[in-house]
Amino acid sequence: MAADSTQQAPAAAPADRVQRHAAIDRIFHWVTAATMTALLVTGLLPVVGIGFAWLDVHWISGLLLTAAILLHVVRAVTVQGLRAMSLRPRDLGEIGGRRRPGKYSLQQKTIHLGWTVAILVAIGTGIVLMIKAGTPFFERDPYVFTLQTWGVLTVLHDLAALLCVFLVLVHVYFGLLPEKRMYLRSMLRGWVTRAELAENHDPERVARGE
Amino acid sequence: MDILRYGHDAWGQVVVNGLSWDLLPVAAGAGVAVIVIHFIYRALSRALRPRADRTGGN
Repeated sequence: MAADSTQQAPAAAPADRVQRHAAIDRIFHWVTAATMTALLVTGLLPVVGIGFAWLDVHWISGLLLTAAILLHVVRAVTVQGLRAMSLRPRDLGEIGGRRRPGKYSLQQKTIHLGWTVAILVAIGTGIVLMIKAGTPFFERDPYVFTLQTWGVLTVLHDLAALLCVFLVLVHVYFGLLPEKRMYLRSMLRGWVTRAELAENHDPERVARGE
Repeated sequence: MDILRYGHDAWGQVVVNGLSWDLLPVAAGAGVAVIVIHFIYRALSRALRPRADRTGGN
């Protein structure tokens, strides 16, 4: 059923479509994906022995990601509301099918929580580490903190990077699964069909903003 | 396998420089493990599902 509705979806009449992601949210997602890719490539290729001038691209990508996240947070708090993505104990009822998901499934909420932790830690530590590295925004001053403090900040930044590696692999895998293709389409074109929504979600919960 | 990278300060004392990059393959391996386990679970659950339910599968 899922595949049938997914395969029929591109031909779905506009009246059968339900908007899942507004254009601004899709742009946010793909800007985040692009900047995250740039950050991981510039941060980790030197680690595996591929050396190049990575620092400028890294901090510029980091600032772009920071700006995108700020806009996302403002939009989530003021326009979208936090209920749809809030992870609650009762969401565990989706395991075994006792409860149907609202707009986002338990798995989607869980990986969003993982991204939230990883990206906030990466941004928080990354901005402070820019002082040590020196950028046009921060005059280089490695003596602001002790070496031990710089070490702890770097450990946290590295931990966030490794969590991002894990999350990217899992996120891309689930995004490419045939039975999840409707979510990929909705992140590209914005919509799912009413049949897909009814089959995979609880439309009443979605209507309530959950 | 080390958990942290270490260096020395001007007085020769050991200081933490960051996380050991030995953990990079661990993070990537954990992601691949989740993918493999889910893929096997998905294949098994499809194989065990009654045939009528599978006609609409992917």
